[in-house]
Amino acid sequence: MESPTVALPVIVRGIDENGQRIASQTFEELVQRAAGDTDSLVLETFGQHNVGGRLWKGGRPITVRVRGPVGQRLGCMGRPGTTIISEGPASDDVGYLNIGADIIILGDATNGVCNAMAQGRVMVRGSIGSRGLTMTKWNPAFERPELWVLGSTGDTFAEFNCGGIGVVCGVDPKNPENVLGYRPCVGMVGGWIFYRGKTDGSYSRSDVRETDLDDEKWQWLKERLPEFLQRIGRDDLIVQLTNREEWRLLISLTPQEKALSNTGSMPMAEFRKKIWEPALGGDPLRDLAPGLDRSPIGLIVTGDLRRKRPYWANRENAAPCTFYCPMHIPTVDRLRLIREGKMDEAYRLTLEYTPLPGSVCGAICPNLCMDQCSRQLVDRSIDVALLGRAVRDFPPPETKPPIGKRVAIVGGGPAGMTAAWHLAKAGIEAHIFEREDHLGGKLAQVIPWDRLPRATWEAEISRFLAMPNIHVHFGVSITRESFQQLKDEYEYVIVAVGAHETRRIPFPGSERVIPALDFLKSVKSPSPMPVGKRVVVIGAGNVGCDVACEAYRHGAESVILLDIQKPLAFGKEKAAAEAMGAVFRWPVTTREVTEDGVVLADGEIIPADTVFISIGDIPALDFLPETVETVRGWIRTDEVGRTTDAKIFAVGDVERPGLATNAMGAGMQSAEFIASTLKGIPWKPFAKKVIDRKTLTMEHYCPLPSKGTTPEAEAERCLSCGSCRDCHLCETICPTGAISRRELEIGGYEYVSDDEKCIACGFCADTCPCGIWTMRPLA
Amino acid sequence: MVPIQSVPSSPSSLTPGDLPWIIQHREDRCTLCGRCTAVCPVQAIHLAYRRQRIPNLGIGSGNLGNSYRTFTGIRQRTEPANRCIGCGMCAMVCPNEAICPVPNPGDARVRFHMNQGGDAWKRGGRRNDTSSLLDRIIFTRISMLTDPALDAGRHEFMLNTVLGRILPPEEFLKRHASGEWIPPTREIFPFIIGSMSFGALSPNMWLGLLQGVAYLNEVLKIPVVMATGEGGCPPWILKSPFLKYIILQIASGYFGWDEIIRAIPDMQCDPAAIEIKYGQGAKPGDGGLLMWFKVSKLIARLRGVPEGVDLPSPPVHQTLYSIEESVMKMIQTMSMAWGFRVPVYPKISGSTSAKAVLNNLVRNPYAGGLLIDGVDGGTGAAYNVSMDAMGHPIASNIRECYLDLCAQGKQNEIPLFAAGGIGKNGNVAQNGMALVMLGASGVHIGKYIMQAAAGCLGNERNRCNVCNIGLCPKGITSQNPKLYRRLDPDQVAQRVVDIFLSIRTEMKKIMAPLGRSQSLPIGMSDAIGIDNKDAADRLNIRYIC
Repeated sequence: MESPTVALPVIVRGIDENGQRIASQTFEELVQRAAGDTDSLVLETFGQHNVGGRLWKGGRPITVRVRGPVGQRLGCMGRPGTTIISEGPASDDVGYLNIGADIIILGDATNGVCNAMAQGRVMVRGSIGSRGLTMTKWNPAFERPELWVLGSTGDTFAEFNCGGIGVVCGVDPKNPENVLGYRPCVGMVGGWIFYRGKTDGSYSRSDVRETDLDDEKWQWLKERLPEFLQRIGRDDLIVQLTNREEWRLLISLTPQEKALSNTGSMPMAEFRKKIWEPALGGDPLRDLAPGLDRSPIGLIVTGDLRRKRPYWANRENAAPCTFYCPMHIPTVDRLRLIREGKMDEAYRLTLEYTPLPGSVCGAICPNLCMDQCSRQLVDRSIDVALLGRAVRDFPPPETKPPIGKRVAIVGGGPAGMTAAWHLAKAGIEAHIFEREDHLGGKLAQVIPWDRLPRATWEAEISRFLAMPNIHVHFGVSITRESFQQLKDEYEYVIVAVGAHETRRIPFPGSERVIPALDFLKSVKSPSPMPVGKRVVVIGAGNVGCDVACEAYRHGAESVILLDIQKPLAFGKEKAAAEAMGAVFRWPVTTREVTEDGVVLADGEIIPADTVFISIGDIPALDFLPETVETVRGWIRTDEVGRTTDAKIFAVGDVERPGLATNAMGAGMQSAEFIASTLKGIPWKPFAKKVIDRKTLTMEHYCPLPSKGTTPEAEAERCLSCGSCRDCHLCETICPTGAISRRELEIGGYEYVSDDEKCIACGFCADTCPCGIWTMRPLA
Repeated sequence: MVPIQSVPSSPSSLTPGDLPWIIQHREDRCTLCGRCTAVCPVQAIHLAYRRQRIPNLGIGSGNLGNSYRTFTGIRQRTEPANRCIGCGMCAMVCPNEAICPVPNPGDARVRFHMNQGGDAWKRGGRRNDTSSLLDRIIFTRISMLTDPALDAGRHEFMLNTVLGRILPPEEFLKRHASGEWIPPTREIFPFIIGSMSFGALSPNMWLGLLQGVAYLNEVLKIPVVMATGEGGCPPWILKSPFLKYIILQIASGYFGWDEIIRAIPDMQCDPAAIEIKYGQGAKPGDGGLLMWFKVSKLIARLRGVPEGVDLPSPPVHQTLYSIEESVMKMIQTMSMAWGFRVPVYPKISGSTSAKAVLNNLVRNPYAGGLLIDGVDGGTGAAYNVSMDAMGHPIASNIRECYLDLCAQGKQNEIPLFAAGGIGKNGNVAQNGMALVMLGASGVHIGKYIMQAAAGCLGNERNRCNVCNIGLCPKGITSQNPKLYRRLDPDQVAQRVVDIFLSIRTEMKKIMAPLGRSQSLPIGMSDAIGIDNKDAADRLNIRYIC
């Protein structure tokens, strides 16, 4: 049997026979050639670079001993099975791109040891320069690369180490104060470093953490140390280096660990508690704003943190019907009572305000209350005349017991009657002194019966006369003397004689002209005035229209109404006159009236058999004392109807021309003021503001094709402006269930919003059909 | 039927399509939770009920007539005072993504009606101009195997700058040897939180910023400083160790200075610097006004004024008539207040007259620098026209001042600071470093901080921008605790920390390729270029294309 061949090492020299250094390229060729024949090379290098790598021997191990000056990148691209032993120190980048060779340096190595090494081991008997173990890799399919250093490392050790293991034993270090150099482990993402000895602690704390060795790591180190020491020829140190207490570990942080420590080592809350607040001695605003709560809150808040708060303003604002009625009859309340089935209460309420609901509201009044009715925004206004007529036969309201005071009222027209009505209700004796033999003033004397149904009128006059505390004295013409007597005998005198003198214009032939008032009075009397076939009415207001209609009824064939401006006539009166054929002419000025007719300023003659004038009436005030001032024929009054004589009030057309409802409003206001004064209680005028229509939500109502024909139907149509209709919509829409309905002990109910549930979204205000819920600022 | 209803119209009657922001509401997603209307800062939206007529028109059906359907939706108001400002808080609180404001792509005619009651329109926030010259300056000098290759992540960088007068070396040594006064300097981070007053900002915002600054200094050792703006400083802050991170501002309103002077004997440290405000980039030549509703009890106490009054800072200092007098009076007074230990510098609006101011400062031994605030600066409140159309862009202004210093050989002696539009589109580090390379020693940032640290909703497209009316929906510029308590100071502080760490990283990313790590590249204009020949010529930098 042949004994195995003992292969002698093949020696490759780095100097040629002429003593010249062989170029690295040539030397590499020599080495490659030599390696093909042997498992053991001895390289006598002379500074050649990239030695010892690229020995692709089909897996057969090879040992390379390197003697002499070693060039850079010893063991570059070294392969598993290759063992490279440098018998002395080595230059830069030992083990560069090594993928498996064992490289043993029996001296120091300079910079860049293990740079970009993926597998294999580098063992250094001395120390290494800077940037050792940088960009070192670890492919999980293979063993981790290892760098063993007996001494110490230079600066910037293990930068970007990506899995390699470093062992730095700290034996005879270059700098005993710092075996790992300045700022090791920057950018290190994998692997770990065992070290022994002092450091300056400058390792990158954002990349690695320092720790004691756990049992597994210690086991690993203890098992491998003897081989390292044996291979570098320092077995003598084994005892010295196996003191576990002397070893420390730098291990890369995981990405998760890094994320946790991303913005520094201290959580902000901890900083506030430990540094910020102690340095400030507490809240830095404690002197400027003691007790100021600045703690964080969310975006959706309740209670006092809201900036707005809903407020249930039930009946705090007037509905347009109530506001625009000169008497402020609360129609909205009437309709509510009707909806609640309290018909009697609704009617009683009406009579608390007006003695003539059927005659005025129900017949002759243009119903100012309905001009602004909100229901018009849905379909049509409420038919308030229907409500007025419904009260025709209802008994008078209750009166207060007499208080022993008397007030005289001169004139029994709508103003005087209303004043008397309210005085009587308050328990004050009201004495009406009427020139004629009947009540009602112009309503009775002038308004045609087809516009003011006689049955209604008479029923309401009867109800008026049935009212306790009212005394009517007919056929009394008041003179200056008798007026003074009234003033002396009564607490107050209310002048309500109206305006019964026709205004005239002194053009030639004005004596031919018949005052409208005289004509209208006559046609309601048993002996109506005769009327010619061709009629001209000077003054085309509503009275003029009444004249035109009556003239047609009494024989006229044509009626022409003249005015110097656009006619003021409106509504039912105008429509009636036009329907009967009346013609309006304007602007025209009358120059004179002759027997042929009316001569206009431009000379045109309008033929006329009868000429009426209706340009307004003025009061006859001869009976008034000097103490009562007048302005251009009308009595000067203050906001409660007081004249310049404090005992004398004036209401109705004596103050200023107006509608019956205006006169009644004035009568009511003066009466209430007098009643309050006589009873010594403060007078409260009507002070509610009209509701802002924008606060109503009409979309809850569906338009109907026509107005209702019964009070109940109209009550259903009412929008109930400013007055809760108990519809529960707010309760329903409230997204947080804050709103609830609550019965009151005193009767009735209210809706309330729970501050602790309400988020102030404003839905209640946006939803409320009646404009009750409003959002108010919350400071 | 539908009611016959006359619809009134006034000159200012508007439809939703006339508004700058249009509320898009999806009824099919809305759960009617009420959050959007609860949170809307200007009551621009409300729950609306709508009624739809559905006619039954079937001939011969015997059933002609109308029926009605009522439906709900969130609708916007069209009055100018209640116009949607686009802040998007409604979308933020909506649980169902049912609502959001979208910018009107068409003709937002409301701008013709903003000046009501004879008052020209005022607003807060930004200039509404998205363009940015600074965004176009790029760093063209990259070390490719030439200069030492630096690694932003690995190498250590000296990123700080110097605030205060720097003496020439020989002068310094002479004075040092003879024990003469040496002008005070501070080493600070070159990105400074610009002047925003305690008053313009809410307490939670202002204190949150300072807390973040304190953290950066105390924990991370990054010497960031912030300027107070004109509104004083809470006394307990003045007496705290954090004062050294604060630049105190004095301006024409002199608000809060009684508390500052009162606190001087109790101060543990000196402030970082004193800034004398002569002008502001957002409203050059115009004064400030803290509206009465922002003058809360707290603000009144801090500023030393009555509660609930308007606080005007006049456009000019009432008793200054010349640069010389100004320097004499204000710089000397402020320097003396702290025994000449604190740098004092003026802040002016970007202007063609900036060089004249600078040249005067160069001759003044007490002047510690010059801050120029360019046209893109933000503000709590300004007249529309002042904000949009007054001022001077910062880039050429700072550049000509720096080149002027170079011509005099003084460029290393008196630091220039730049402000106005830095980071307006989010590129804060790039904008700031571009200005540094044009010659600034540092930059002041305000709007970027508001947006990044506190989530300010404003943008350059007129979103929100209602800093002036006390209704800031994020609680940044409101003095109403119900609003500013929405802002958690800890979170603001944390964001401040995040921001400066990011800026620091980006600075390194810019500096490393330039091969620059040991000093800030002030005036290193060979490293930048711009793709506009005129701008390149004006700035004396490289034209690139």
